[in-house]
Amino acid sequence: MTKALLKKQMLEVFSWLYKDRKTGKNRSAQGILMYVILYLFIFVSLGASFFPVAQLLCGPLVGAQMGWVYWCLLGLMGLFLGVVGSVFSTYTTLYQAKDNDFLLSLPIPVSRILLMRLLGVYALALMYELIIMVPAVLVWFLNVPVTPAGVICVLLIPFVLAVLALVLSAVLGWVVALVASRLKHKNIITVLLSLGFIAAYYYVYSRAYSMIQTLLVNAQAFGQKIRTALYPLYQMGLAAEGNLLSMAVFTAIAGMLFLIVYAVLSRSFLGLATANRGSAKKEYRHKNRKAKSAAGALLQKELLRFTGSANYMLNCGLGMLFMPIAAVLLIWKADMLWEILTEPFLEKYIPLLAAAGICMVATMNDMTAASVSLEGKHLWVLQSFPVRAQQVLAAKLKLQLLLTVIPAIPLVAAVLWLLQPDLCFVFLIPAAVLLFIVLMAAFGMAVNLKMPILNWTNEIVPIKQSMSVLVGLLGGWVILLALGGIYYLAQSVISPALYMALVCVLMLALIAALLRWLFTAGSKIFSTL
Amino acid sequence: MLRIDHLTKIYGDKKAVDDLSLHIRPGEIYGFIGHNGAGKTTTLKSCCGILQYDSGEITVDGISMKRDPIACKRKIAYIPDNPDLYEFMTGIQFLNFVADIFSVSAADRKSRIEKYAGLFEITGDLNQPISAYSHGMKQKLAIISALLHEPKLIMMDEPFVGLDPKASHLLKEMMKDMCAKGCAIFFSTHVLEVAEKLCDKVAIIKGGKLIRSGTMEEVKGDTSLEDVFLELEEA
Repeated sequence: MTKALLKKQMLEVFSWLYKDRKTGKNRSAQGILMYVILYLFIFVSLGASFFPVAQLLCGPLVGAQMGWVYWCLLGLMGLFLGVVGSVFSTYTTLYQAKDNDFLLSLPIPVSRILLMRLLGVYALALMYELIIMVPAVLVWFLNVPVTPAGVICVLLIPFVLAVLALVLSAVLGWVVALVASRLKHKNIITVLLSLGFIAAYYYVYSRAYSMIQTLLVNAQAFGQKIRTALYPLYQMGLAAEGNLLSMAVFTAIAGMLFLIVYAVLSRSFLGLATANRGSAKKEYRHKNRKAKSAAGALLQKELLRFTGSANYMLNCGLGMLFMPIAAVLLIWKADMLWEILTEPFLEKYIPLLAAAGICMVATMNDMTAASVSLEGKHLWVLQSFPVRAQQVLAAKLKLQLLLTVIPAIPLVAAVLWLLQPDLCFVFLIPAAVLLFIVLMAAFGMAVNLKMPILNWTNEIVPIKQSMSVLVGLLGGWVILLALGGIYYLAQSVISPALYMALVCVLMLALIAALLRWLFTAGSKIFSTL
Repeated sequence: MLRIDHLTKIYGDKKAVDDLSLHIRPGEIYGFIGHNGAGKTTTLKSCCGILQYDSGEITVDGISMKRDPIACKRKIAYIPDNPDLYEFMTGIQFLNFVADIFSVSAADRKSRIEKYAGLFEITGDLNQPISAYSHGMKQKLAIISALLHEPKLIMMDEPFVGLDPKASHLLKEMMKDMCAKGCAIFFSTHVLEVAEKLCDKVAIIKGGKLIRSGTMEEVKGDTSLEDVFLELEEA
């Protein structure tokens, strides 16, 4: 029984590798091999980015006879990545798994089901943690003379550390499940928490180098502090230096923590896994409501679709938040910006750079690139209703335009206030931004019509893992880079104002062509999906 | 009301529906039966404009589905076998969305929602997100949404699946009432007893081909519909 459960769990965890999410069918052996190579490449690339950090820390700390501090720090990073990588899956894997009801109906002890689910989370945590621990181990072996005991301990550490990541992830997942069963407005809260996390990440990332330098200067004092505050990691550090007793202590601590969490979760698992997650019931009372036009109803439907999904908002609508934030930052940090902008070599590029910068932030809104795919299994509703495909596509376009143009207004205003450009740019910059936004909305929709994914079971697939979203997003950047490159080559023969005006005309022509395609051939494609 | 002439729908190299012809008149309840994969859903989806068919003609109240699908769709309502409704909406948001699409006036929609939601006993749940609905509640919501614009033709794919006995009984009564007022109903079912009791006419489809159709008496004769169906299936 355990073997069968474990096999099912591993098949579920690694389904992204062997299953084509677009068709739902298994990939061929060649396809799997290609994906293994691709993911290995991503893994190695990410791991390589931590290599310099490990190098920076290892030499000085080992030189100061504080190799264990190196392991504490890298272990902490690995733990963090392992938890972050797995915690979002923990909630869905443990408590929202689609087969929970099925498994609970079978003669399997609840604790066994939980154990197998936890093993799935462990595999995920280990995978993420290894992104840091593999370079950590390699750098260690390159800088420190190895002993047999040291090699054994260092090779075991990542696997034991992943148990700690699993423990933390399971606890956090449990908190999320507990909160989710009582919370209203989950989508908005998820978006805000995710944005807070991203902001914290970038704050730490931007200060990482100075933090490492401070840490190296105060290594002794820092070591004393973490010795008591992070005792398990301290033991892990000693183990890496070849201390087998510390390895045993570290393993025992991790094992004990796991058993405690496992025991607690076993008690609450059944209740949480079968909890009715509907929010507090608000009784409906009949009231008069103003009728809308079909176009208005379709637009409202798109808006509800957007605000009804934290994933959709986070992955396809960040520009909506970042544009007003950028406007505030521009005004707040105006003095600092002027110091850069007064550089003589930059002066003539400023209006073009300003327009390109706003457009770059606007590309973070790419709702249309996922909107057709998101119809998924609901497509029958629109197809059986008396609405033309053109009306449906127009509503999708309107949503992106509304949610991008409105937030772009304060940013454009801030840029114009800050730059005080020539009169022609007062018209050209807003025009270029507006046209670019329309172009990107139409482009995203065209790409999605050409590459729709409709038979998804998890909305993350069309939102995050589809080719149309990737092309829609990168397409904007490519266009901006190409326009920048062309100006760089042609700057001796064309003024910035004329160039921007020509780009506006070009975009207008492209928009006309794309809209024409969308409302003829594109609409036909939508009708026959 | 619904005329299907030589309908053929091909998936790849498989004929899902093969030269099927049927005529459903106003006031008729027409049952459509066949084993799984016989072509019932494909036929129904073609009739309501979801699927494009390869040959043949479908007309609703004399209007060609191919030439003027929007005008046809204004007259019909479709209830699928699996009511995948917009889970990001609440029940009332969905009903208002459907009413807006079909241009149902504010007063009419209010009275109809009040009436049907009351009959199906889901008034108290209309403020809940559809994602929190059970299969049966989604089915009830789909039925209410189909009735909002008072269609002339209703097509239903396994409409009784998931409904509780009370709702199932209510739906049957409503079907009879609507037909008495001139509405036509074309529905598929595996529950042959229901078809036998409810339908004026019945059609049996096998492997995409229509193998028997006519009034209930013509099709079943002195035996039961189940016996006829099993006999035809084994033939």
